[in-house]
Amino acid sequence: MNSFVKAVGVGFISLGLWSSTALAQDSWWKTAAQPYQGATIRGISESTPASKYVEQVLGPKFTEETGIKVEFEATSWDQMYDKAIKDMEANTGIYDFVYIEQDIVYTYLARNFLVDITKSLADNAKIASPDFKPENFTTFLNYFKDPKSGDVMGVPMEAFIKPYLYRKDLFDDPAIQKAYKDSTGADLKPATTHEEYTQIAKFFTEYGADKELWGTTVQASSSHPAAFYEFFESVAPTFGVYNWGIDGTTFAATEANGGQMNSAAAKKALNYWIGLLKYAPPESTSSTWDEVAGTFAAGRAAQGLVYGENAAWIATDESKSTVVGKVGVALPPVEAGVMEAAESGKGYIGYYDGGAFGIPHSSKNKDASLLFLQYIGQASVQTDWALAGSRIVMNSTYDDPKIVDQDKKMNGYYTLMREDGKLFAGAPPFPFHAQVLQVVAPFIYKAIVGEIKPDDALDQAATAAEAELVKLGYRK
Amino acid sequence: MRQSNIGWLFLTPATLILFVVGFVPFIYILYVGFFDWNTNAVDPTLRWAGLQNYRSLVFDTTFLNSLARTLVFAFFVVVSELLLGYVLARALMADRLWGRQFFRTIHTLPIVVAPIAVGATWRLLCVPGFGIVPYYLKLWFGIDYNISTNAYHAFVTAIIMDLWHWTPFVTLSLMAGLTALPKEPLEQAQIDGGNKLQIFWYVIVPMLKPVLLTTVFIRLMDALRSVDEIWMLTKGGPAEATRFIGLHIWINVFPKTDYGYGAAMSLLTLYVTIVLSWLLFVAMTGRKGGAQ
Repeated sequence: MNSFVKAVGVGFISLGLWSSTALAQDSWWKTAAQPYQGATIRGISESTPASKYVEQVLGPKFTEETGIKVEFEATSWDQMYDKAIKDMEANTGIYDFVYIEQDIVYTYLARNFLVDITKSLADNAKIASPDFKPENFTTFLNYFKDPKSGDVMGVPMEAFIKPYLYRKDLFDDPAIQKAYKDSTGADLKPATTHEEYTQIAKFFTEYGADKELWGTTVQASSSHPAAFYEFFESVAPTFGVYNWGIDGTTFAATEANGGQMNSAAAKKALNYWIGLLKYAPPESTSSTWDEVAGTFAAGRAAQGLVYGENAAWIATDESKSTVVGKVGVALPPVEAGVMEAAESGKGYIGYYDGGAFGIPHSSKNKDASLLFLQYIGQASVQTDWALAGSRIVMNSTYDDPKIVDQDKKMNGYYTLMREDGKLFAGAPPFPFHAQVLQVVAPFIYKAIVGEIKPDDALDQAATAAEAELVKLGYRK
Repeated sequence: MRQSNIGWLFLTPATLILFVVGFVPFIYILYVGFFDWNTNAVDPTLRWAGLQNYRSLVFDTTFLNSLARTLVFAFFVVVSELLLGYVLARALMADRLWGRQFFRTIHTLPIVVAPIAVGATWRLLCVPGFGIVPYYLKLWFGIDYNISTNAYHAFVTAIIMDLWHWTPFVTLSLMAGLTALPKEPLEQAQIDGGNKLQIFWYVIVPMLKPVLLTTVFIRLMDALRSVDEIWMLTKGGPAEATRFIGLHIWINVFPKTDYGYGAAMSLLTLYVTIVLSWLLFVAMTGRKGGAQ
C-alpha cells in the first residue's frame, strides 16, 4: 500500500514536471509570437517530399503553437522560381519565405534578395529561439551563408545526395547472376565504372525485354532543364568535369580558353550518357527528376541515378512504390582517378542537392517568418521530417533510432550520405546560374533527340556559354 | 454640345484604364528595347544600346526559327479550325441531326477548359511509355509515336491539341453568323440555278465575311501568342521543335532576365502580328484601310 502511494506520488510528480516542461516549451513560442498573433505568412516551395511535410505537418503545428497562420504553396520547380523571383524583383511582398535551392542562392545573394537571419536575430533577441542553433546543422548550412560575412541567409530544409540506386532483388538473384556471368563473363554487382554500368544496363534491357524492365533510368527530358542538371551535375563530375566545365575565375567554358565544357572528358561523358538512352524506358526523354523516381519506383529500371529526396518513399512506401525492400544504394560509377580526386577534396563525384527557406527583403512579415524558420530549424522536428523526405540537415538526426531503423530498410542510404556525403558537392557558386543554363540546355536537348552529335553539342554549348558570360560582363 | 461632354465623362474611366494597362506598358517596352539590361549582369543597370537589340534579332537564328515555327503553326491551326469549324457548324445546325443540343454542348466543352489544364491533359495522353495515344498508335498502326524525341510528332500534336481546344469557338462563331444570314439571297441564288459550291462561294462567304474576319483575327492572334498549352505539353521541345515565339520571349525575359532583348523581341513580334493582320484584312476585304 505504502509503495502504491509512493508510486502514485512519483507518477504525479513526473507528470507535473513533464507538463510544466512542455508548457514552458510551448510558452516560449507563444510569448515570442504574441505580437504577431493572427498574422499570416505565405511561403512558396517546390513540391518535394520535404516541402509537403512542411505544408502538411510543420506549418499546422507552428500555427497551433503560435497563432501565426502559415499559407504554403508547393508547386512545380519552374513555377516556384518564376513566382518567387518576380515577387522579389517587383518587391510586392506576396511571399514571406521562399525556397532557396542550393544552386540559386548565389544569384539571390548577388541581387540582395534575402534577409540576413543572423543579423535579424541579433537585432531582435526577443524572437531568437534558444532551440535554434546554426552549429547543429551539417556543413550543408555553409551553402546558405553570406560568403563575405558568414551570416546565415537561409535555414536548410532539405539536403540529399544523388546516389546510384539499383534493384537489389535482381542483382542478388542467383539465376540472374548466372545469366549475367554467362553473358558477360563478369560477376553481377553494382557498377563502379562507366563500362560496368553500361554493360549492366545492356544486360537488363535484354533480360527485361518482355517484362517492362529496362537497364537504367536517364533523366533526359528533351526540353526540361532536368537533363542539363543530370548531365552537368551528376554525370560530368564522374568523368572529372566539374563546375559545369566553366572556370570559376576566368569564366572560360571552351577548352581553347581554359574551360572544360567541351573537353575530351566532357565529350566522353555526354556520349556515355546519351548512349544509355537505348537501355532506358521510353519515358526517359521526357523524364525530369520526378519521373525518374517514378520510373524506378514502378520497377521499370534495374539501376539509375535518383535524387535522394525520393529514396525513402521508393524504398519504404508500399502505397507508392512497387520496389519496397528491393532497393540497393551505392556510389555512382566513376572514371579512373575521379574517386581519388574527390577523396582528396580536389573534385567530387556527384551532386549534393537541397535547399533552405529564406526570407525575401520584400516580405511584410519578417519577424513572424523568422519565428517560423527557427521553428523548422529545431533539432526536435528533424527526425520525422527526415523519415518523410529522406533529407538530413542536422548531424544529430543520423543517430536517431528511427533514422537508424529506416536506414536499414533503405540498405544504408543515410549511412552512405553521412560517410560519403563529402564526396559530393553542391552547384558551383555562379550568380549567372539560370542564364548559362538557358543558353546551354538547348544543345543538350538537341543531342538527346539526335539532332546534333554529342561532341558538336558541347562545342556549340561551350561557345554559347562563353558568349553569354561575355554579354553578362563576367568574361572580358 | 452638353451631351458630347457627358459622353467624354463616361468614357474617361475606360480610357484611363486602357492608358494604364495598354499604352503605358507599350511605351515602357519600347523604351526598354533600346537598352542593354540584365539584372544578373555584372553591371545590372540600364545601358543605352540604341538599335543593337534589333540588329541582333536579325541574325538570331533561334529567334527567327522560333518566329517561323510560330507562323507555320498559326497558319495550320487557323486554316484547319476555320474549315473544321464551318463543317461542324453546318452539321450542328442540321434539323435532322438527332441529339443536336447534346452534341452542341459536348462540342463546346473544351472552350471552358483552362489552357494549362488542356496542356497537362494532352501531355498525360501523349507521354511516352504511359500515355494511351502512343500505346494505341503502336498497337493499332505500329507507329512509334514519341513527342519527346520526334519533332514532327510534337508539332502535329500541338496543332491537334489547339484544334481540339479552339475549333468549338470557331464553330460557335460561324453558327451565330450562319443563323443571322438573310434567307432571301440564298433562295434567289437557288432560283438562279446556282449549285451548292457556287452558292457557298459567291453568296454565303461574302455575307459571312464580317464574322469570318473577326474569328480569323481572334484565332490568329491567339495562335501567335500560344504559350501555356505548349509549355505544359512539350515545354517547347523536343529540342526546340515547338518553341514558339511566346515561349521564346518568356525564356529570354524571365529565366535569362535579358529584359532589353526580350522587349525588342516582343515589339518585333507585335509588329509582325499587326502586319499579318493587315495583310489578311486587305486580302479578305480588298480594302487597305479600316473604314470606307
